[in-house]
Amino acid sequence: MRRAGLTGLAAALLLGLLLYPLEGSGYGVRLMLQLFMWIALAQSWNLISGLTGYVSFGHVAFYGTGAYATGIVITKLHWPWLAAALMGGLVAAVLALVIGWPCLRLKGPYFAIAMLGLNEVLRVAASYFEGLTGGGLGLSLPTLHASVPIYYAMGLTAAGVTLLAYVILTSRFGLRLMTIREDEVAAEAMGIDTFRYKLYAFLLSAVGPGVVGGLSARDQGYIEPISVFPLLMTITMIVMALFGGKGTIWGPVLGAVLLFAFQEVVWARFIYLHQLLFGAIIVAVVLVMPRGILGVLQQKYNLPRTI
Amino acid sequence: MAITSWKLPAALAVAAVLCGALPAQAQAPIRVGASLSLTGTYGKIGSYQKEGYELCAEDLNKKGGLLGRKIEFVVYDDQSTPATGVRLYEKLITEDKVDAVMGPYSSPITEAVANVTEKYKKVMVSPLAATTSIFKKGRKYIFMVISPAEVYLEGLVDMAAKRGLKTLAIVNEDTLFTKSAAIGTAELAKKLGMRVVLQEAYPKGHTDFAALLTKIKAVNPDVIAAATYFDDAVAITRQMKELNVNPKMFGVTVGGDLPEFYDLLKQNAEYVYGATQWEGALPYPGQREFLEGYKRKFNREPVYHSASGYAGCLIYAEGVKRAGTLEADKVREQLLKLETKTAFGDFKVDPDGFQIAHKMVILQWQDGKKVTVWPDEVARGKARFPTPPWNQR
Repeated sequence: MRRAGLTGLAAALLLGLLLYPLEGSGYGVRLMLQLFMWIALAQSWNLISGLTGYVSFGHVAFYGTGAYATGIVITKLHWPWLAAALMGGLVAAVLALVIGWPCLRLKGPYFAIAMLGLNEVLRVAASYFEGLTGGGLGLSLPTLHASVPIYYAMGLTAAGVTLLAYVILTSRFGLRLMTIREDEVAAEAMGIDTFRYKLYAFLLSAVGPGVVGGLSARDQGYIEPISVFPLLMTITMIVMALFGGKGTIWGPVLGAVLLFAFQEVVWARFIYLHQLLFGAIIVAVVLVMPRGILGVLQQKYNLPRTI
Repeated sequence: MAITSWKLPAALAVAAVLCGALPAQAQAPIRVGASLSLTGTYGKIGSYQKEGYELCAEDLNKKGGLLGRKIEFVVYDDQSTPATGVRLYEKLITEDKVDAVMGPYSSPITEAVANVTEKYKKVMVSPLAATTSIFKKGRKYIFMVISPAEVYLEGLVDMAAKRGLKTLAIVNEDTLFTKSAAIGTAELAKKLGMRVVLQEAYPKGHTDFAALLTKIKAVNPDVIAAATYFDDAVAITRQMKELNVNPKMFGVTVGGDLPEFYDLLKQNAEYVYGATQWEGALPYPGQREFLEGYKRKFNREPVYHSASGYAGCLIYAEGVKRAGTLEADKVREQLLKLETKTAFGDFKVDPDGFQIAHKMVILQWQDGKKVTVWPDEVARGKARFPTPPWNQR
């Protein structure tokens, strides 16, 4: 009975989101679009860092790579935007393979630092290879006057990444990843090829940001190195995932929704105060509920560790 | 503990909703929306622009407002990011239903939000977007106020050519504005018969220019033109002295016009040319009123970002006044025809809304003071030329 109620609620929510652009204002559509973006980003970060404990401090590198890949094939090869954004996801996955191959053999904080470095390298590279990227001049995409198609594409991406999290977390693959998180040496002793599983998770976690970057580039119509490789974006997705509860299915979604809503309500009214409050929240989360909201709920109501 | 952390956001949310729901005034003011960079990379400059907008609204309201209504700005913070800017303009237009909009700060953000303002057919006077491409994409409702990056150093090159100098080295930070400035400078120099002997970019945040300056020293150009922001302008000047690089003229785009430039470099800033869109000392109409008003309201001297914001708002108001309505197409028509001079200088645009009348100013540091030396019609002194070698200053 309770299950049926939940299913009904989910179906109603889904239908509402599907029909929303028909009724919602341009601002509402764009607001939701950016919420979808944060859900997809926080969830993608969760796939590698929440599940394996390998914290990525440069996940925005995949976002930027996807943005540039998309921008380039749209401006130079005139690809349709959807194909271009999917291609952005693919390029991000290839990058993950290239960088994951050596870096996922690193343990502890070294992987975190390597990812941070990767983002910086890519930002400089985007300035440097100007024949392709426009360098510091940036890439100006042809003007698009409709954010509704992007709304659906972004929503599907967020849903897709969350579905992926569900599939992984409820599978043996997910179990192995969590074993790595709890004790990597023990996992290896049990015969798990830890490197291979980490690499798979890393590849999967790169696709979402790649696609999201592509869609955002298309939506904004202009990209430049500084605006698509911002460190702050990585921090925000980490905080969202932590706030909701890392290593769970719904934690990153919950964290993204709540923090995004919070920012939206507060920042327009309290321009300087909101950054202070946002910082205070980060500190509070880490101190009071390091496992996030879902972590607290799990403990209190004895829920399964994944949900 | 975990639960109480929710009360604050919830209370804020309720308060925010209440704020938004206050009843409108009987004689509704004209609400002009803008998002500006009040925090983030451009935080400081965006705030200067905001002050310009505010002073303009105050001045207009003192004179009876616009179309008989008061003017009121609705300003948000885009945190210096294009994505947020886009969302906020969408909010201003579709949610807050403002009567008009004014531009944000910086080229990247303007380029992104222009897609929104065009979609809703809103006239947007953009006082601080200098990149040519923004205005040359077939957009109909966007208007430029400042001179484009490409002509920032026109005066430097012009003065050099008139004094018979032949060779030029150009360096620039590798970002949109500075790069455009470098490209424009190279073209102007070639047009005036000068030879560009070196043209090189350095990445944003670069602090060590030794390699670059050594290269420049090797080709020994008459003129060094640097498309910079403040920090790199200071660093390049300092390292030119250390490496004893001695061009006959040396000018920078941004940085050289700020008092801090001299404070940091002291006599090493002497002879350096700086480019600026505007100076308080220029003999433009309304200048006194602007300077005094600004001083009274904000208790310090304005910078050109405030002046441009102020003038941009006046220009939009003039367009509305002439059109007699806020209707975008009619205001646009008037702005395209408008030829005027404000405290910021000349305004006239081509059919794309691209600025063609506003003149850059070149100044030179002389005995610790900024002296405008170009163009001739507003110059307050003569350029000290040539720049003597470092050991004779």
